[in-house]
Amino acid sequence: MKKTLEIFRYNPEKDEKPYFKTYEVEVYEGMTLLDALNHIRWEQDGTLTYRRSCRSAICGSCAMKINGKTYLACKTQMMDIKSDHVKVEPLPGYEVIKDLVVDMDNFFDKLKRVKPYHITHTPPPEKERLQSPEDFHYINEAADCILCGACVSACPSAWADKEYLGPAALLKAYKFCADTRDEGADERLAIVNDRNGVWRCHYTANCMDACPKDIKITDFIARLRNMLVQDKL
Amino acid sequence: MRYKSGYDFSYKLSVGHVAWILHRLSGLALVFYLGLHIWVISHLNAGPESFNKVMNFLNSPLFKVLEIGLWGVILYHVLNGIRLLLIDFAGGARYHKQLFWVAFLLVLILTVLGAIPFLHHLHILGGK
Ligand code: FES
Repeated sequence: MKKTLEIFRYNPEKDEKPYFKTYEVEVYEGMTLLDALNHIRWEQDGTLTYRRSCRSAICGSCAMKINGKTYLACKTQMMDIKSDHVKVEPLPGYEVIKDLVVDMDNFFDKLKRVKPYHITHTPPPEKERLQSPEDFHYINEAADCILCGACVSACPSAWADKEYLGPAALLKAYKFCADTRDEGADERLAIVNDRNGVWRCHYTANCMDACPKDIKITDFIARLRNMLVQDKL
Repeated sequence: MRYKSGYDFSYKLSVGHVAWILHRLSGLALVFYLGLHIWVISHLNAGPESFNKVMNFLNSPLFKVLEIGLWGVILYHVLNGIRLLLIDFAGGARYHKQLFWVAFLLVLILTVLGAIPFLHHLHILGGK
């Protein structure tokens, strides 16, 4: 069975404007979209550029817009795509470097803004800071994030407001605030308590649909808001 | 210049996205209505005659039908507002799609129920 892939192409050194190029690929059971892209690059057109590394949905490199929604190419089964026509575009909301490769600097800058590391004020114990399985439960789901950027790229608030921290950074902020070993929640909450922080989320919940790890990001943003509100009460 | 996309209008609409757009639109409609409402009431300042004149105008069938629309808009804004509160305070994000459809269904039912007295008033469904 054949499927056509309509792929966004743009080389800023050569092309004045982006354009779409169509390729035909023979698909088989088990073939992912990343396999299809590899096939094109290796057999049909060596100039096609995209990011990938692990091909098993854990490195977070291959997020792109697939038939109108952001997701991982390596977690998208060609057979699962209903239509025979697959439109592949780079992540929306980012600058395109080439073809499907976008500039993620902004994404990681925002992540750094929420202090994504353990902050402690008490002297370290003799061995390590331990966490009980019960306490790990609070952060288990939020810790699954692979930083692929699909959520931020799916978020209308992030498209409209370039300063918005975005779902990934907020999720990370929650993850550390809810971690029982961390003592920097106040610092972090002060950062997300901003019009470009937690309050810019309008619950369109596109991030949850886009998340390849099925993290209920919107719920964690709501929990961050609750932490802030409870602080005030 | 590197190519950059802004607000992505070609992104596939999701339930949450549509709910948000409708919430914004219904909010704007309500602000507009509020302005209109204050303008109508302000005719009281100019005495009963001028007030009766606008009221007569507003009693036309067109406005009655629009009032049913207003009722629907209010219902949507209120019920989706409750959905948002549930997301805020009760972990509703995990069921936000189901919550939307519940709200939507309630909007439909209550709009129809609420429309009955309006239509009676218009002599469409009988009545005096
Ligand atoms: S290649 Fe690593 S997530 Fe897809």
